[in-house]
Amino acid sequence: MNRAVIAERQTAYRWGYVWTGGLVALAGGALLATALIRAGAVRAAAGELALIAFGWGPLVSVLKGFAAVLDPLRNRSAIFSQLPLFATGVALWALGWALIALGIRRTTASPSPPSEARGAALYPPLARYTDFYWGTLLAYGGGMLLAELTLILLHTALVAGVGRGGAARDGLLRASPISAFAIALLAGFAVAFAAGFIGASRARRLSVPEATVGIFYFGLPIPIGLTALSSSSLLELRFGYRLREVTYVAGLIGRPELGYWLVFLGLALWMVFGITAGFIATSSGRVDLRTGFELFVARRHAAVFKPRLLLGLLVVLLLGIVPPLIIYAMVRAADAAVERTRIRALGMSDPLKASEALDRLRTEEHSPTAMMTALSVGGVGVGVMALIIVLSVMSGFEVDLQQKILGTNAHIFVSKYSDSFTEYPEVMQKIRAVKGVVATTPFVLGEVMVTSDRDTGGGLVVKGIDPATVGEVTDLRKNILPGGSLDNLAHPENISAMRFGAEGVSARLTSRTEGRQRPPEDVAIIEPSAPRNAERVLPGIILGTEMSAKLHLFVGDRVNVVAPLGGELGPQGPVPKSRPFRVAGLAYSGMYEYDLKFAYIELHEAQKFFNVEGVTGIDVKVADIDDARRIATAIVDTLEGYPYKAKDWGAMNQNLFSALRLEKLVMGIILTIIVIVAAGLIIATVIMLVLEKRKEISVLKALGVPDGGIVKIFLAEGLQIGCAGGLLGLFSGVAWCLFIERVGIKLDPQVYYIPALPVRIEPLQTAISVVIAILVTYLASVYPALKASQVEPVEGLKSE
Amino acid sequence: MALLEVRDVFKSYFLHGKRIDVLRGVSLDIEEGELVSLVGASGAGKSTLLHVLGTLDAPAAGRILFRGVSILERGEAAIADFRNRTIGFVFQNHYLLPEFTALENVAMPALIQRQDRAKALGYARDLLDRVELAARVDHRPGELSGGEAQRVALARALMLRPALLLADEPTGNLDPQTGEGIHQLLREVNRDLGIAAIVVTHNEALAQSMPRRLRLFGGQVQPT
Repeated sequence: MNRAVIAERQTAYRWGYVWTGGLVALAGGALLATALIRAGAVRAAAGELALIAFGWGPLVSVLKGFAAVLDPLRNRSAIFSQLPLFATGVALWALGWALIALGIRRTTASPSPPSEARGAALYPPLARYTDFYWGTLLAYGGGMLLAELTLILLHTALVAGVGRGGAARDGLLRASPISAFAIALLAGFAVAFAAGFIGASRARRLSVPEATVGIFYFGLPIPIGLTALSSSSLLELRFGYRLREVTYVAGLIGRPELGYWLVFLGLALWMVFGITAGFIATSSGRVDLRTGFELFVARRHAAVFKPRLLLGLLVVLLLGIVPPLIIYAMVRAADAAVERTRIRALGMSDPLKASEALDRLRTEEHSPTAMMTALSVGGVGVGVMALIIVLSVMSGFEVDLQQKILGTNAHIFVSKYSDSFTEYPEVMQKIRAVKGVVATTPFVLGEVMVTSDRDTGGGLVVKGIDPATVGEVTDLRKNILPGGSLDNLAHPENISAMRFGAEGVSARLTSRTEGRQRPPEDVAIIEPSAPRNAERVLPGIILGTEMSAKLHLFVGDRVNVVAPLGGELGPQGPVPKSRPFRVAGLAYSGMYEYDLKFAYIELHEAQKFFNVEGVTGIDVKVADIDDARRIATAIVDTLEGYPYKAKDWGAMNQNLFSALRLEKLVMGIILTIIVIVAAGLIIATVIMLVLEKRKEISVLKALGVPDGGIVKIFLAEGLQIGCAGGLLGLFSGVAWCLFIERVGIKLDPQVYYIPALPVRIEPLQTAISVVIAILVTYLASVYPALKASQVEPVEGLKSE
Repeated sequence: MALLEVRDVFKSYFLHGKRIDVLRGVSLDIEEGELVSLVGASGAGKSTLLHVLGTLDAPAAGRILFRGVSILERGEAAIADFRNRTIGFVFQNHYLLPEFTALENVAMPALIQRQDRAKALGYARDLLDRVELAARVDHRPGELSGGEAQRVALARALMLRPALLLADEPTGNLDPQTGEGIHQLLREVNRDLGIAAIVVTHNEALAQSMPRRLRLFGGQVQPT
């Protein structure tokens, strides 16, 4: 090549054109999209359009194009109806790109005389400079896609059970949705991390363009598709059934989209971890995970693990800022007074020694970086502490609520699509044979109104139960207050009265053990309204505490139950049916709703009262409540499907629990933001460290520390802060939780129905809080650490 | 084969967007075990040349062969490793790491190589003994005098027995008497260990005492 004729050319931008062009092209694209949507062509070609939009373009779209040509009639008329919009869109789109092209010009640079170096060998690294690695793009993009597919497929496979045929369906490898999701998520994270690691170690640099393109172009289609799943009937039809397990897990938090995008974010984050780890580990040309030297240097740079610092911060986290500050001020004042007296005494005899002591006192003052380090550790600690406390309290509420709901309701509810469920004993036998089922009990459900002698109660739900077996399925037996008994439903003649008064209170206290033995005459004297002397023994009923309070009813009182639809058909429709019952006990579940709206009578009484032959359904208790959904399916399978159906507790209370989980998730995100703010402190601290250590970095480089080593040193410094803060937060958070648990924080029972703030420390959740904090600090340190590695050795070595 | 073969090396600075050509086609050969002095006016590019020879700075163009191999064509980590093993630096300022003791500073090149800590510190102790600083082993750089610090820096440069010692005005900040001690040490190192050295200096007497003398003038190296 003739070097003399090479005129240097430069690219000149007219930004006005470029920006206008971009906006016009965008508007054109929007119009085009509108036209296509209106023409109904999108529905037919949604998949192809999505692929084209994400740039997986030519080959796929050409193939699909052929398919579209073979089927011309359907699209043509539709497109023609939107022709003006379509044409405008295309025109605008083309115009936009033309403007952009106009905005970028190549101009000849002003000629300058050639330098003396013309023709000399180019500095080798510059000659071999590559700015885009296709292999790395493939690793990042493919890895992202693979991670998503791994997650979805592994989750579906684990829930469905690995293996084929009926025998394997109950195999060992079958997991509940939550644990399957956890396993699949970990696998997805691992794949994303590995792909990032491989990609970065191939390129031996971070390759930000490849990462951006890879993660966005290859990673986005699946979450976008999943988000669109519920709104597009076509997608729903095509993938809905296959993806049912995925949508179920995402639906557990109430808003599936949030779940998809959080998972996507998580995968992208793990890919970033993988990329940075790959770069750091292999930038020296080989995998080098040893960090002994780097830690040695980092510990000297930022001394975080000093007992005094950690102890001080822990005290601050446990007691708040003010008390430790007062103590510190007192100690310092005393210390300074003693020291000054000592130095003055010293100065009387030896002035030079005194000045030396003064100097030592001054050098003990902390440097700003040390102060920043302490602040960052404290910041991370506060974040982790808040995360742990709030999540533990929310878990406490959730567990409390779950206990109350599951105490009153069964785990699975089996019913039939027809009215007469008379074959329930056989069905119960079959259900009990299903793996994972612990107990079953039949019940009859009916809606009634109750009235007492004094008051009229509202409507409530009467559940006819089998006193012999109901205790195995729900907590009803445990929830009966002293004075009443579940067994009295079957033996109403044993019901004893309970009234306030000396006798009543003693009856209330003793009746649990000897109530059944109490002679009925005793009560009749105290309570004339109770027709104990009536010739007929009334059947028993158990009321909730709220309803009994509303009706002023106590054990032994008589109550009228009215069933609006239970009676015979009269000339004007069904005639309400009324029957007296005697209160056999009061139930307290802890849920206001349940204690107001539920009453229990004996199963056969209920059948008689509601005039039915069979039962409404069968309550089932399972060993593992998280597995209830799968067992419900298994029960239906065992009963050979229609007309039987089964619903698990999660599905019955889906809204409540998904709201709780969503709340917890959002709180987790908000509190993670606190940790991220603390991470901002870490960034600032590490940047300060880098600025302070510029000269040292240069020297280390001159001594032969590679860039990767410098990155490791400063990452280690950031991570030290994160680990110290995380551990402090863990200690103080758990300490606070234990404090709340032991001492208790009173709640207004009128509002909360819980006497004290519930706390439940979940080890996994707590560990995840700490891990998140450490990962966030790792990410926060990456940027300053990279900046540190970019310090030119010559910069720091310039002699002043 | 020469230890160092430098051909047509160019290097420029950019000051406020203006290019200042410092090295304009430097070519020179350094043999194994040679002791060379390099003189030149302030700003002539002596330090830049040393940095380029020590792979601390990249030339814009040219070839540098160490024992016939073009190190610069390898990756960044390989260059760092080469620098660690083959080149020893002594600067005008001692540039010791302030957080580490004299002993740890001397052992640093071996620690970077991840050599056994105890062994490295043992050898560093011997080296400090040799530069007559056995009593200062556990002192931080801030507690050393200028001459002591410079001797520690020299010991650090010798820690891994480099093939080439690059000294950039090592006595520039020292009084003549202390400086002479350093010069003496440099000569001993060259004679006893056979380490080639390029010493940049403004000290005419020292320059004249070296077996080979070079001058950097007009961006090129000439013998004097």
